This record gives sequence, C-alpha cells and structure tokens, in this order.
Amino acid sequence: MPNDKADLLQGTLDLLILKSLQLEPMHGFGISIRIRQMSAEMLTVEQGSLYPALYRLEDHGWIKAEWGVSENNRKAKFYSLTTSGKKQLQAEEQNWVNLSLAINRVLGNA
Amino acid sequence: MNFFRRLRALFRRTRSESEMADEMRLHVELQAELNRRAGMDGEEARFAALRQFGNVAEFQQRVRENRGWAWRERLSSDWRHAWRTLAKSPLQSAVIVLSLGIGVGVNAVIFSWIRALTFRPLPHVVDASSIRLVEPRTDTGSHPGASWQEYRDLQPRVPSFRDLVAFRMVPLNLGENGRDERVHAQFVSGNYFSALGLEPAAGRLLRPDETSRAGGAAVAVISHDFWQNRYGGSPEAVGRTLRLNDQIVTIVGVAPEGFLGTVVGLGFDLWVPATMAPVLLPGSTELEARDVRGFSLMGLLAPGASESRARTEVDAAMGQLASMYPASNASIKADVLAFWRAPRGAPKFILGGLAALQGFMLLVLFMVCANAASLMLARATARRREIGVRLALGARPRQILRLFLTESVLLGLLASALGVLLAVWGANGLRAVPLPGAFPFKFQTDLDGTGLLVTVSLGAACGLIFGLAPAWQSARTDSQLALRTAGQAPGRNRVRGALVAVEVALALLVLMTAAVFLRSFQESRSADTGFAPKGVVLAAYDLSGRGYDKARGLALMDEVVRRLASAPGIEGAAIASWVPLDFHAMPVAGFNVDGQARSDGGLERALTYSVTPGYFGVMGIPLTAGHDFAALSDTATRPQAIVNEEFVRRFLDGKLPLGRRVVGRTTFEIVGVVRNSLYESFGESPKPIVYFSYRDRFSQSGQIHVRTRAADSAAAPDLRRIMHEINPAITLYDVRTLAEHVDKNLFFRRIPARMFAVLGPLVLVLAAIGIYAVVAHAVAQRTIEIGVRRALGATDRTVVWGMVRESMRGVLMGAIPAWLVAAIVALHVGGSGAATPGVLLGVPALLLGVALLASWWPARRAAQVDPLIALRAE
Repeated sequence: MPNDKADLLQGTLDLLILKSLQLEPMHGFGISIRIRQMSAEMLTVEQGSLYPALYRLEDHGWIKAEWGVSENNRKAKFYSLTTSGKKQLQAEEQNWVNLSLAINRVLGNA
Repeated sequence: MNFFRRLRALFRRTRSESEMADEMRLHVELQAELNRRAGMDGEEARFAALRQFGNVAEFQQRVRENRGWAWRERLSSDWRHAWRTLAKSPLQSAVIVLSLGIGVGVNAVIFSWIRALTFRPLPHVVDASSIRLVEPRTDTGSHPGASWQEYRDLQPRVPSFRDLVAFRMVPLNLGENGRDERVHAQFVSGNYFSALGLEPAAGRLLRPDETSRAGGAAVAVISHDFWQNRYGGSPEAVGRTLRLNDQIVTIVGVAPEGFLGTVVGLGFDLWVPATMAPVLLPGSTELEARDVRGFSLMGLLAPGASESRARTEVDAAMGQLASMYPASNASIKADVLAFWRAPRGAPKFILGGLAALQGFMLLVLFMVCANAASLMLARATARRREIGVRLALGARPRQILRLFLTESVLLGLLASALGVLLAVWGANGLRAVPLPGAFPFKFQTDLDGTGLLVTVSLGAACGLIFGLAPAWQSARTDSQLALRTAGQAPGRNRVRGALVAVEVALALLVLMTAAVFLRSFQESRSADTGFAPKGVVLAAYDLSGRGYDKARGLALMDEVVRRLASAPGIEGAAIASWVPLDFHAMPVAGFNVDGQARSDGGLERALTYSVTPGYFGVMGIPLTAGHDFAALSDTATRPQAIVNEEFVRRFLDGKLPLGRRVVGRTTFEIVGVVRNSLYESFGESPKPIVYFSYRDRFSQSGQIHVRTRAADSAAAPDLRRIMHEINPAITLYDVRTLAEHVDKNLFFRRIPARMFAVLGPLVLVLAAIGIYAVVAHAVAQRTIEIGVRRALGATDRTVVWGMVRESMRGVLMGAIPAWLVAAIVALHVGGSGAATPGVLLGVPALLLGVALLASWWPARRAAQVDPLIALRAE
C-alpha cells in the first residue's frame, strides 16, 4: 500500500461500511468506490477484507443483502442498513469520535 | 472465462458459496469496466482488475473461516480420509468393529435391563418418576407392609401425594372345586388404575367407589395375557364371570397390554378390589385389624411436591397413628422409598447382580479396547513414513492427533451401530427367556432413546480410548527420524508395555472375580443345607374359601397326613407353613424368653414356622434334645415350640431350654431343640428360629411335605389321589420335589455363574490375542536389531528370552497390582470359602502361563529369521 494512503485502523472497516450504506443500498464494488471517494482517495479497502466484513456484518444482522440489477445490467447483491445496523452505526460513530478525541489529546492537538 | 468457471466450481458446494462467487465476479467486472474507462483495452483492463482484486481463493477462505465453515469442511475431509484409511485394511477394521460391537451391544442390553428396572418399572405409567413407596418399618428395620386401616388413615394425611394406592399379592383358586387352578391376583384399592393413569384394553378399569364398602364390588380386571389366553382377546370376555375361591366375580375390563401389575419382576392375572378380601378369604380380618399387615402403599407425588415434604408428612401421620393406636403402631414408623427399592419383588434381588454384571462387561469391553489399541498402534507404526511426510509438509501435531482420533472414533461409531443391532435383538431375546418358579417372573425390556444414546456414546468413547495411545505416539513423531527409519520405531516402546500391563490387569481382575463367584456358587450347591432334600416331595394346598375353620381344618389336615403316611411308598408326611430357601422372605416374630428379659424392654426376634409333628423326620433335621410336637388331635397339651441351636446360643446363653417359655401374644413351652439348617438363602449365617406346632398355629394354606421310599416323582399321583379321596374340593398345586425347589433358589445365582463360565475363557482368549499382537508387532519392528544380534553371535535362546522377558515385564507390571486388588476383594467379599489357593494362585498362574505362551510364540518366529535377510531388509 502506498505510504500516502492511511492504514485502516483495526475495527474501523465496519464503521466505514455502515457509513457508506447510510444513504442508499449498494453492492460490494460500489461500497469500495464510495469509501475511496468519501476519504478523498486516502483509504482503500482491500477486497480481501471487504467481503469477509460484509458477510460478518450480515451475520450480525446490521446489514441485509438483496439481489438486484447493477448499473451494467448484471445480477448484483445490494447491501442496505437494517434498523439495528443504523443503531450500530450511531454507536460506532460516537465511539470513533470519543476515540479520536482521546488520541488527539494524547498527541497534544486538542 | 476459464477463471470464473474455476471460481464457480470452487464455490458450487453450497448456494451461499456460489452467491459469493457471483458477487466477487461482479466486483471484478465492474473494476474492469472502470479500468477500460481509464483508457486500458479490454483484456488488459480485465487482468488489471483481477490483479487489483487479489487472491480470490484466500478471500474465500477468509470468508468461510469468518462464517465458521472451515471446521465443517475440515471435519468432513477428516471423515472421508478416515474412511479411506480404514477401507484399506478391511480385515483389521472388521475385527475391531466386530469385537467392539459385541462388547458395546452386551453392555447396552444390560444397561437397558437396569434402566427398565429402575426408571421405567411400570409400562404405560406415564410419570413413573413420581412414584414413591410408603413402607411401614418396625423398630428392627423390617418392612411388614401396611394394614388396610393404616392405608385409609394415611390417605388424607399426606397431601404431597396426589394419589395413594394400596395393593397386595394374593393367590386365588380359579374354577370349580376339584378342577381349579392357581391364579395370581392383586387386591388393590379402587383408585389403583386411575392413579396410574391406565387405559383399559377393553371394558373399564376399577373405580374408586368399588372399594368403599367391605365385601363390595365382586368385579375383577383381567390382564391382557389372561384375556388373550383364555378368551382369545374376544370383547365378549367383558361381562363374563369367574369363579374365584368359590365366589362369582364379574370381569369388568382388561388391563392394557404389557401392564403386569405393580411388583417388579412378577406378573399378575387379575386385579380385584381389596374390599373383596373377607368374601374371597373367609375369616380374613385384614380390612379391620390394624396388626394384619401386608399391603404395599404407593404414592404419586403431586405436581410441585417434593419427596422430602412427603416424608415429613408421612412421619407426622405415622406419629399420630402411633399415639392413636399404640397396640398396633407404637413402634411403627415408615420409609418413603423410590419404587425400585421396593422391599418386595425382584428389583433389589436382581439389580445387584445386574450391576455387577455390567461392571464385568465394561471391564471386558476395556480389554477389547486395549486389543484394538494394540492393533491401531501396529498400524500407526506402519504409517510412520506417511506421518513423517505430513509433518514435513507442515502438518501440526494437533492435526495428526485429529487424523488418528477421527479414524478410531469412526471405528467406534461403526461398532456402536453393530452394538445397537445386537442390543435390539438381545433385548427381544431376553424377553423370550423362560423363567422358572411358582411366581410368574416377567420383565419389560427394550432399548429406548437413552439406551441408544448410551450405546452410541459408549462406542465413540471406546474409539477415543483405544485411539488415544497410537494417536499420541504418532503426533509426537520426529519427522526427520520417521522419514529415515520408516517402519521402525526406535528403542523400546513404553506405550506397548503399558498396553500389555493394562490388558493383563483387567484380565486378572475379571478372571479372579469370576473364579470367586464360581467357587461360591459351587460351594452353595454342595453346601450342607441342614436338611435332606433327596426323596422329599412338596405340594401346596389352600383351604381359603372352602369353608374350613380351625377345628375342621385341623381335622382335615390330620387325616391327610395320616392317610399319606400310611400309603405304600411313603415313609412320612408332614405339613409346614413355609418351605426353606423360598423366593420369599420368611415371617419374623417378636417375643421374649421368660427369665431372659432384655434390659431395654424390647423384643427378641426370630424366624417362625409352623409345622406338624413328624416334620423334622420328613425333612431329615435331627432333634438334638427334647421331643417332637404333640399330635394334631391333642387338645390338652399347652402350646409348644421347638427352637434351633442358634436360638439356644443367642437367646438362652447356650443353656438347655427345655421347659422354658417363649412369650409372644401366646405363651409357648419349648419342648425340643433341632440342628440349625438353611432357611432363607445359601451362604446365610446361622439364624435363630422358632417352630410352632401347626396344632397351635393353624394356617389355611401351606405345603405338604412327603418323604418317599422310591423315586421322587412317583409320589405325585399318590398325593393327588389321596387328597381327592379325602375331599375332592381341595386341589393340590405346585407339586414338585424339594430338590427342584432348592434348585430354583439357585436360579438367580446360576445365571451369573453360567455367564462367568463363558466369560472366563473368553477373557483368557482376549488377553492372549492382545499380548500376542503386541509382541508380534514389537518383533516385526525389531527384525533388523535381531538380525544384527544374531550376526554378532547371539543364540536363538538369548534372542527369544530377551523378547519374552521384555513382554513379561509388562505382564507383571499389570498383574501384580491387579492381583492385590482381586485378592482383597476375594477375601472380603467372596467369604471364607471362596478365596481358595486355586483362586488366589491358580488363576494368576493360568493367566501368566497364557501370557508366556503368547509372548514366546511370536518371539520364537523372530529368532528363526535368517540374519542376512533381516539385515538386507533395511
């Protein structure tokens, strides 16, 4: 991974995926693009992490998958947030804010 | 597209896997699309997309592991691998499965017996676990049964029982006078069937109101067997009448199939309201008299009620009764017992034997396991190269362990399957075993879910047990060493030595205990019973319901005895209330000997018997002092008693008792002393007994004893003829010789004795096979070493004895501790006579001899190997 891109902090991938699904249902590829765009090309989600994470979130019941048609007219699996997924997103966002605040304090930036 | 096909093929296993493939393929396509838009041409864009995506297989694996699929996949591949390995050596696998299957099956059958006796003693009774027996207990700890009045009093006083039922066994005469037969019935309380929740097979069952009035409700419920045998299962049987003890009783219904009554091990033909007692048994006072005991009480715990609360309530109720009716209840308390601990009937009698048998069969099963382990060990050694390769390629020891354990557990499960088949067949087979006796022994046996579960777990556990040693050894294999010296385990093998030791220890334990058992059985067969059974013929009679009071009954029996005694071929005749060595416990009476009062004011206790004069002559029991009873027709002489030597020793300090008096409810004068004999069972310690005269203690039913001059059976027609001449209304039943009767007592000892007789040689063979296999395997491994030693000048003898010595070290390591344990058991449990030198020394010697032979045989073969061939084998 190039050095100018930030490493994904352990455990933040779930948050990113949930956040990217906040507006509309998306397929896996779309999620990876969305995360890249939202982070202004700073964060790239590896496929090897993305799909296991998607299945894990689905098993938790935070996202659900439905088969639909993609923009190139192919069968695609669209993920969307469930109600408990929305709650989880809120919780993780809050968690992240607290964490980054704490880290910033440690670094003397606050 | 080739790549995607492969991708899909990989994922075709499950639907979700193929969906995963679709999804990832879409990802790659969309990425390629993006690449094209960025200016790459078609192929290049696709390959770039694939590159960007990364290692597809790895991601899939990661997904699978995330979702917990991995272990399932590993497991199924383990199973398939195990199956293939086992199929490669079918003979060995078959031997293990067969021997283990038999072991597991036998254990399952015994387990299902024990379970049936303890947990499901009553078929069709849904909540058998809520059943508790309420057994009145005397201060000496015996259980005399409850009186009917006591039952009536207890019913409202124990609210923890939703129902309390009473029953007692009663033999009845069925049919016309002179052509009647014996049936076994239970007098029951009216709520008997409703409390147990039984449904009739035909008609109806008894109603609670049918025992509300003494003498009431001349009705009966018949058993399903009785219905089938006598009425061919016809519905018209309901409403028919039966002549029972000369009274007409109407059949109102049929009990459900398989319901045999409420005494485990016995099956009954009829159930009659207990209030019919005074009608069917004229003169019976059992409905009113508080001291006439004999009913069993069975309570069914109400929902939510606990046994301890029931016990508290029963204790309180018995305390009330003791103060209300001190004459009958002063010293009576009551026990609340689980159903299988019933003091009457078979369970207590049989459970102990079955439990012992189960223990032995488990030991035998462990021996089979040890044998299987040595076979698996041999196979594991043969696979050292394979294991070495696996380890070299990065397999972890844990994975090797799993590989081996999967194989042995698979073997164990296959054996369980066989065991289940055997158990189902065996449980059915056991039901067909005819059981002898005046009592209709019957058992419920079948394999239920729990039995099945136990069988399967037992097989799997066996697999784990015998797989552990080879698996552990293989997992610790040094891959370098294994690859260089394939087929050769370096050095002495500790696992092998331990296997031999375990096997020998188990074998010795089983053999010595079996020997102790056989010895004590033989001893009881040849034991001095204290009477002379040869030439004595017994016949039971029952005057109840025939209108005989004491005077008329005595006159009748006096005539019977005199007529029989004067018949040709008959030396003497007598009547006794009991026969020694019966299935039943004998009655015990409390009394004081005058001038010998106990300091605590309590009563002495001894067995009692009532017999006619001449009884001791017929039985061959010598009179050592005093004289026989007065004649039956003598009305002048005071009540008499004859006691045995143990009675004199225990209660009279060995002083001559003639003229002393035994004081119970009546006072009896001791007129004679007889030699001790056996009364209740073989191997019992001498028991004190008081014989009363039949003249003083007449009984409506009893046993005629006749000593014949000729062969035993010749007397039977005479007996029946003479009885018929005197009174055709009285039938004799259960005509048999005393020798046959005594043999019956041995029945429950003979079954295990026979099993041990079969088990002994089997165990020896198992031990021999096990030792042989281990030594043969060790020898095969050391072919090169033997070759070298022989080439260096070792003789056959030194090679052979070297091998044998090593094997015998393992044998002794197992034998010595096992011998110590077995010797202690033999001395303490087997009784004095059982621990003979034959048992203590002969059995181990035999086993050691077999072990020696089993080690020598393969060792000798090894010594005959040509050293050149052996060395070239490397």
